[in-house]
Amino acid sequence: MSITYLEAIREAQAKLLRDDERVFIYGQDVGGSFGGAFKATKSLAKEFPGRVLNTPISEDAIVGTAIGAAIEGMRPIVEMQFADFSSIALNQILNNAGTHYWRTNMSVPITVRLPSGGTKGSGPFHSQSMESIYAHYPGLIVMTPATVEDAYTMLIEAVAIDDPVVYCEHKYLYYHLKADKLPSEGLPTGRARIAREGRDLTIVSYSAMVHEALAVADQLAREGFEIEVVDLRSVKPLDTNTVLASVARTGRLLCVGESFPWGGATAEVIARVAAEGFHLLDAAPQRINAKDTPIPYHPNLWSAHRPNAKEIARKARALLRE
Amino acid sequence: MPQLGESIAEATIVDIKVKPGDEVADDQEIIDVETQKAVMGVTTPCKGKIGEITVQLKETYPVGAVLGYVEASEADAARFAKQAPPPPQREVAEEIPARADQEVAPAREKEMAARDGDGAGAGGLPVPAAAKGATFMSPRVRARMAELQLTTADLAGIMGTGAGNRVTVKDLESFLQKIENQTMHEASAIRAGVADAMRRSWTRPLSTIGSSVNLDPVLQDRQSRDPKPGPGLYAVRALALALAETPGAAAKLIGNRVVQSNSIDVGIAVEAEDGIMVPVIRAAEKTSLVDLTTKYKELVDLARQRRISPDMQAGGVATVSNFGTFGMEWGTPIPLPDQTLLLGLGAGKKVPSWDEEKKEFVPRTEAQITLSFDHRSIDGGGAGRLLKRVIELLQEPKTL
Amino acid sequence: MLQTAQRQSKTKKIKPAPLHERFLEAFRWMLLARTLEEKLVSLYRGGLITGGVYIGKGQEAVSVACGLFLKKGDIFAPLIRDQAGRSAFGEPLLDVTRTYLGSRQGPMRGRDGNIHRGRPQENQLAMVSHLGAMISVTVGALMAKRFKGEQGFVGLTCIGEGGMQTGAFHEGMNIAAVEQIPLVVVATNNHYAYSTPNEREFACHDLVDRAIGYGFEGYSLDGTDLSACLEVIGGAVKRARAGRPPQLVVASVLRLSGHGEHDDASYVTEEIKREPFARDCLKVAEQTIADLKLADAETLAAWRKEAAAKVDEAIATAQKEAPPEGDNEDWCALSTRDLVDQVETIE
Repeated sequence: MSITYLEAIREAQAKLLRDDERVFIYGQDVGGSFGGAFKATKSLAKEFPGRVLNTPISEDAIVGTAIGAAIEGMRPIVEMQFADFSSIALNQILNNAGTHYWRTNMSVPITVRLPSGGTKGSGPFHSQSMESIYAHYPGLIVMTPATVEDAYTMLIEAVAIDDPVVYCEHKYLYYHLKADKLPSEGLPTGRARIAREGRDLTIVSYSAMVHEALAVADQLAREGFEIEVVDLRSVKPLDTNTVLASVARTGRLLCVGESFPWGGATAEVIARVAAEGFHLLDAAPQRINAKDTPIPYHPNLWSAHRPNAKEIARKARALLRE
Repeated sequence: MPQLGESIAEATIVDIKVKPGDEVADDQEIIDVETQKAVMGVTTPCKGKIGEITVQLKETYPVGAVLGYVEASEADAARFAKQAPPPPQREVAEEIPARADQEVAPAREKEMAARDGDGAGAGGLPVPAAAKGATFMSPRVRARMAELQLTTADLAGIMGTGAGNRVTVKDLESFLQKIENQTMHEASAIRAGVADAMRRSWTRPLSTIGSSVNLDPVLQDRQSRDPKPGPGLYAVRALALALAETPGAAAKLIGNRVVQSNSIDVGIAVEAEDGIMVPVIRAAEKTSLVDLTTKYKELVDLARQRRISPDMQAGGVATVSNFGTFGMEWGTPIPLPDQTLLLGLGAGKKVPSWDEEKKEFVPRTEAQITLSFDHRSIDGGGAGRLLKRVIELLQEPKTL
Repeated sequence: MLQTAQRQSKTKKIKPAPLHERFLEAFRWMLLARTLEEKLVSLYRGGLITGGVYIGKGQEAVSVACGLFLKKGDIFAPLIRDQAGRSAFGEPLLDVTRTYLGSRQGPMRGRDGNIHRGRPQENQLAMVSHLGAMISVTVGALMAKRFKGEQGFVGLTCIGEGGMQTGAFHEGMNIAAVEQIPLVVVATNNHYAYSTPNEREFACHDLVDRAIGYGFEGYSLDGTDLSACLEVIGGAVKRARAGRPPQLVVASVLRLSGHGEHDDASYVTEEIKREPFARDCLKVAEQTIADLKLADAETLAAWRKEAAAKVDEAIATAQKEAPPEGDNEDWCALSTRDLVDQVETIE
């Protein structure tokens, strides 16, 4: 039996609906027999009548409603059809949900699922990675699962957490990533995972880029280098300790992220390592992100826009040579 | 990738002449690579069959990188001690391979030694000319040096194996390990102090000039004095007076400013129990030889009682060292780090000296007198003139 | 200009509504709100309040009606000119004075101020500054009650004609009707959004016409007439509770203060001040009391005195209390402590 990243998300939601009557799913096209633009809620409306609800195209109101429901004791899961559209709901997520506990001492346990990241031909408004924007604001937890197992356990954990969670699921991984079975538990949020042990260089990454990093590590292993790959799993909270421990082992750091270059998770990791692990570094820490332009439509341009294994390998080799 | 030339660190693949499965002979050219200098052929290490080519056309690889694998006879393989090739490389850009990822617990407790404890730094590979090179010390290396209480001077004896021959943490630790089985003891505070002072002094370009000086006038003069000043004290006076005439000779270069001291303070080396102290005589040009002698005696006493403070040793512009008392004829002493001049006086010796008037060799007591100087502040010419003046003054001890 | 004249001439002639049974009760809340806010204004002018002060002068009648008909368990999401409603709903005066005077013991502990205060645990939602955002939040709270099988509850939220123009308002109204929520939206057109008059805010003839567009039932209201407010808004709450579609009430008043107390409102035209909707609802109510002999002068004086005493006490208490200190703050925006992101690693 083999289960995809998307199926893991669906399974997690089914389990949540089954085990916790406070859970309901709210979003565009999630209900009925359609089961969501990516089928993440397929069959769930039927199995859990009245709890998987189609909404109008009103991202602001969708999240606002979820916030109100959470205040009154529910555990809503909002499915944004694409991360890119969550910008309409930015005010509710950042200014309402994100500030509520700080201002009123009452937390808002909503989970907002963002289908993130690029796939071939998806273009500028269906490909974005917005984790850096959400991580920037206080009061939110931002998850970026990279594996089938994490997609499952972290979504379940997201709903259990009393604070607002932005759950960035990667569209490219939906059907490409498969696992044999689902785990019953995983690493807690806030702990990064060593996806591959190494010795000569640390690559810190998250979400789909973890897999690019692993491919690069395989390639460089043939050239005699052992690359350690760290999967952050959540960009907020960010597991600085694990990153520092890795850099203590290897002395060299390359951060890889799919979001736009200015600021962002990769910059945050480097800032922390530079501040607290300066004495661990044998060379200046580096990062690779997507280009500082909107995400292109044409597959040739798209694959040049985002970091790819070849580019990562080139940068890694340069770093290893210093 | 073979070593293609002395300064060559990498090359670009321009032609791959074989494919997996091809039979090849020993020393057969199978790949062409291009460096800055030329196109060269890479040859097979032995006879066999191409198992895999791991490199791509137009890509650049460092010297030492694996270009491919040859399936060879057991004997040949044993000769090169090669392992079986790894499974074929997957295409990386197009598809993400399915991974049943295991949860590897983050190994937070592993120490820095885990990485530095095996193998060379960056694969032990030489680097292109553009890289940082031997003088670069990374924060990591600096931190380790601080922990081990090493200074850059200590690195002189270490051959770096890192990029551009720079010293890596591993090199530091290997080096320290090697000296473990040699006899050693903790350096005394004085030893450490002198080491630090000399290391700091040596960061300047120092030079020494020398000449011989006729000591007979001084030796004769001292007979008529009580107490008798040593030749070193005469040298202190002579130097002080010479500097009074040309105070610029003792100026220091700080940044791009030439800074003169307000007072001609000259240090004199005094032997103490566990080392040499260099107390400074303030306004030595104004201190008569008689007073100098008295002062010197006081200082010797203080030194014996270990009561010469750092204050007493600071602020001088020059020092006189009379190593002749140890029997040495000449030397190139190192000026103190906060001074630019050091006058060294060697042992006097009876030598035949040509007397132009008598047109014959006459016996004279001669010593070598050297002046070491910071070449940033003063040139050989200036130093030479100063030394000449000192020598002149030493011929007229009554004036001192 | 012509359009404006046309619109204004369509303002309904003021015909007083019949006396509502809860008139005096409501009046006393209005009096309390007015007394409190006048006091806040003088504190502000005396430099004792940091940040903005927003009062609801002229809107007390509408506001008190919002709070008066809600029962325990209903959801109330007031906005910035709703002191009367908040008090009627049950908000303690100390919440107001503590928030404005910066006491650490206020409901927001100094982390937010003035009219952003709320007690979501007690169903009084805390607003964010982005107008219209609270409509959908109120919807969500009521949806939750429905999920939980709690029946017979309504939600009431307030907004101005300015806030009605936001996208968030539009989305919130629509989703309330789609979800068939027992919601009452009380929109007060006080004729100025900060310095912007109606003709630059909306182009439709009458804001209440939007109700039908959203699937709401819509009612107009003369906001200067307390009995009318009680009747219409009380009626809307009743209808919502009875399962009717969501209710939109559009009340007409004039803002009788600046946008905030930092604003002198010199842009308000003399012309508009002569409009019927520019009457001060408190004075109108007092006149009604006098006309209908609902209470004598002594009683009124006693009520005023009592209101003043309550206000003074709340202010005095708050003034004695300590402010929050930066060093003593736990700078933590998550309730889940062990998920707080450590920008610097803990020693």
